Amino acid sequence: MTLGRYTCRRLLLGSVQVLAVLVAVFLLVEALPGDAAVALAGDNPDPARVAAIRSAMGLENPAAQRFATWLGGLLSGDLGSSLVSDRPVTEFIAAGLPTTLLLAGVTLLLLVPSSVLLGVFVARRAGGRVDRVVTAATIGLHAVPEFALAIVLVALFGVELGWLPPTALGADPLADPAVLVLPVLVLLARPLCAVTRLVRAAMVDALASDYVRHARRLGLTRARVDYAHALPNALAPAVQQLARTTDWLLGGVIVVEAVFVLPGLGTSLVDAVAGRDMPVVQGLAVLFGVTTVLVNLAADIIAFRLAPRAGSAA
Amino acid sequence: MSDQVVEVAGLRVFVGGRALVDGVSFGLGPGEVVALVGASGSGKTTTGLALLGEVPAGAEVSGRVRVKGRAGFVPQHPGAVLNPVRRVGSVLRELAPVADVERAVDVARFPRSLLGRYPHQLSGGQQQRLVLAQALLCDPAVVVADEPTTGLDRGTRDEVVAEFARLAGRGVALVVLSHDMDVVRALADHVVVLRAGKVIESGRAAEVLLNPKHPYTRALLVEPVRSAAESEHGAERLRIEGLTAHHGRNVVLDDVSFAVSAGECLAVMGRSGSGKTTLARCVVGLHPPTAGTVALDGRPLARTLRSRDRADLAAIQYVFQDARASFDHRRPVLDQVARTAALLRGMSTADSVAAAIAALAEVRVDESTARRRPATLSGGELHRAALARALLAQPRVLVCDEITTGLDAVTRASVLKGLAALRETHGVTLVVITHDHAVADHLADRVVTLHEGRVTAGAPRTRSETP
Repeated sequence: MTLGRYTCRRLLLGSVQVLAVLVAVFLLVEALPGDAAVALAGDNPDPARVAAIRSAMGLENPAAQRFATWLGGLLSGDLGSSLVSDRPVTEFIAAGLPTTLLLAGVTLLLLVPSSVLLGVFVARRAGGRVDRVVTAATIGLHAVPEFALAIVLVALFGVELGWLPPTALGADPLADPAVLVLPVLVLLARPLCAVTRLVRAAMVDALASDYVRHARRLGLTRARVDYAHALPNALAPAVQQLARTTDWLLGGVIVVEAVFVLPGLGTSLVDAVAGRDMPVVQGLAVLFGVTTVLVNLAADIIAFRLAPRAGSAA
Repeated sequence: MSDQVVEVAGLRVFVGGRALVDGVSFGLGPGEVVALVGASGSGKTTTGLALLGEVPAGAEVSGRVRVKGRAGFVPQHPGAVLNPVRRVGSVLRELAPVADVERAVDVARFPRSLLGRYPHQLSGGQQQRLVLAQALLCDPAVVVADEPTTGLDRGTRDEVVAEFARLAGRGVALVVLSHDMDVVRALADHVVVLRAGKVIESGRAAEVLLNPKHPYTRALLVEPVRSAAESEHGAERLRIEGLTAHHGRNVVLDDVSFAVSAGECLAVMGRSGSGKTTLARCVVGLHPPTAGTVALDGRPLARTLRSRDRADLAAIQYVFQDARASFDHRRPVLDQVARTAALLRGMSTADSVAAAIAALAEVRVDESTARRRPATLSGGELHRAALARALLAQPRVLVCDEITTGLDAVTRASVLKGLAALRETHGVTLVVITHDHAVADHLADRVVTLHEGRVTAGAPRTRSETP
């Protein structure tokens, strides 16, 4: 199977997955016990408010018709309006998205080269002292949860040493990039460990293979053999892990946003859930679901190019 | 002696106290060809790799190996040394400018139109020629060729031999490691006969080949005897009807039909890339055909392996061309062979191991060897173990893909004898995929020839016919 045909098939599957996500998100509201309006109105429902919610959500119409209306709105970019503030849901997303994109972008920009280079670096010294030190350090760091690392870094660099701002409260990350250093470090720590270990393991296998030994015989330089011959074979598992990491980052990492007071998508989601603001929750769920599908679609296509044999067996 | 390109004196390679090579000496000047011959496991490959400066991990090496200039290498299994994720042309262009690449692929008879492919999209013969082109690009003073004609049909083999001869004519020294006595006769100036790492006979090719002194050399030179199986064939066992198969958009098999009886041996011949292997893969269910049926004892089989039941799986067994790749390199060979009996015949672990030891002994692989991992076994030993693994399932049809390539004359004779006996005693039907006319002559009752996916000849063969 060629890359083009695989991509078409995978795109088709991806659109089915997106449709499934949309149905699931819609059913979220349907699954609420009793009438959604009653559940959303709070502990002491005011009949007027219940009626208002009911008409705002169009609950008097049959489910299929509501789904069609909702889907039509989605396609034209209308995600509905908040029940709490009556602002369009797109505004909530627009408010949180830049921060989340900035954090995710900077983190990925640092993560990809550093983890691949570190993985290759230790794989070339597999079994040596450097390898053992890095392996121990990556396993140790991977075991530290984000919130713990965030608190330790804030206490050390933000409070004790005073080198970096402990929170981004009120700051504009673009005007004052120093506020991003600690959050990005926290976001980087565990993915860096995971991807480095995957690249190292796959690279050790690739370096021991017959084709790498043969490439050395042909007189290619060591760097060429390692980076142009062994590395492409070692990247497939790392690509899948990077897809998971990207998905995690784009979903807004609430722990990091909360500790550093960064208003990203994670914060929007938590606020919407706390306020029982169902249209906002739905809008964000659609965004996260579609992101997951797209990121994994991209990863699968890259992985297919990195393992062309897999396609011919299918 | 100072003009010699290669000088090997008293080479010894020991791994864990076991001698792989024990005191090998030879030398050769520019344009000379030396052939290292011997049964599998005799230390040919270890000696050849020592010329490239490669020794097995943890080996103790003594003696002297001197090579003036660069050494190129053409390995036995070209498929394993080609990078699976790189297009073959881009790797070649890394080694040399485009003009040189095009000259080298032309010289090696590798079609330029295939340069944009991945290695898995090439046939075994095409891979072999590609690796030869790679070796030529490095402008070597000496080329070490490990079984260079393995997996090539007769026509291609002659071309490769002619190419090596031309290479030697241009002053490149050549070290050929081979079981193929025709190749050795055609190329070698000197012959070194190895057995268990020791040189048992060496000298000018004409002397050693025409007048071998050592009985072992004589045994190596003997052509395998034709099986005496003049059996009465039973009922129809395997019927292929209208089989058509594609690789992507390419038609690989085009309306192929034939039938084989119980106890009969059919040889499927054809040039590299003619669809022989795809045909075999369709029969065992590894490649789903686009159209047509494969029927066993009159009953059509499912198209793919996964939808066949255990009895059907056991009934048709496959012996792969690349035996090494057909073993999991992390587990001992014995366990993997025994697994067949446990999976397909429902034996207990202890019984399956006992059965495996017996089956391996029949193909002359002893228990202590089989308890090791595949990496420490020679190519020939793994070939025989793969055969034992297939036989352990007690198949009704055995499909052998280039089964005797990579086997020396002695082992090949015993394998062919074993297969002939199998037909007589159990009525096993053999489908032998081969480019080797000798194998077809010695074993096959009928030959089907494929050309570009179509059957071009399928006449029954009479025993008196000579090649």
